[in-house]
Amino acid sequence: MAQIPKVKFVWRIADVIVGGMFIYAGAIKALDPVRFATDIDNYKILPWFISGRLAFYLPWLEIFCGIALITRRLYLGGLSILTALACVFTVATIAAKMRGLDITCGCFGHASQHWSFSGHLALDLVILAALLTLYFKVASENRLQNAV
Amino acid sequence: MRQAVILAALALLPGIGEAIYFRDKVSWQSPIPASEMVTLTQARAWNGNTIWVDARPDAEFEREHIPGAVLLNEDRWNELLPQFLDSWSPEKRVVVYCSSQSCNASREVARRLRDEAQLKNVFVLQGGWEEWLKSRK
Repeated sequence: MAQIPKVKFVWRIADVIVGGMFIYAGAIKALDPVRFATDIDNYKILPWFISGRLAFYLPWLEIFCGIALITRRLYLGGLSILTALACVFTVATIAAKMRGLDITCGCFGHASQHWSFSGHLALDLVILAALLTLYFKVASENRLQNAV
Repeated sequence: MRQAVILAALALLPGIGEAIYFRDKVSWQSPIPASEMVTLTQARAWNGNTIWVDARPDAEFEREHIPGAVLLNEDRWNELLPQFLDSWSPEKRVVVYCSSQSCNASREVARRLRDEAQLKNVFVLQGGWEEWLKSRK
């Protein structure tokens, strides 16, 4: 029986780690939105008109979703948004590489400026895997609750 | 879905607030205001009145650079800035370049030269090092 609280504790730790990572990443970008705007622009996917504005919005979206994961309020909403964002970041990183763009991902602000493509991609995939794991875990819990 | 919409709406509030706070610090229409960009032809026309600044990493600079260019990148900013300032004089125009049109090192170095070193006449080379290479062919 003692196993169940222990497993729950492990999942909570996972929530805090993933949520904390997004809060950190969002906060760094929120502190320097102008730089983040140029990072988005470097992907050459969106016109500056949009990337300039997104740079003020996305960091806060990450922060709020990270808080949702840690506090478990609006949890599923936060998880869904972060999973969608991670998918978009991953696809954008691969697309940029395929088009031969010399980019900085801007994921963690200045700290990530010199990461290699494989570094970017590995991080994107690890985050995506963590989010999907949390998502499927919650989905299976909800299914069980509904069945009961 | 409802939860996601609530979160998306909540994030709008500080985002809008920050955009208002930064409204004068960001160019909303173009990543670099046209007044801060320079084409290779224009920069060459300035002739001896130009300081070329290479914002690429050390290794790329050592491999090849625009003749006479000064290395000034963000990796070793504090170390390289005094060397750059030794070659700078107020009447000269500073043209910063990085590897290509899509890199942003030149924008950052140009921004820091304007904001931190308080220099005027700092421009970003359109197309960067790639453009220089093309012009040699």
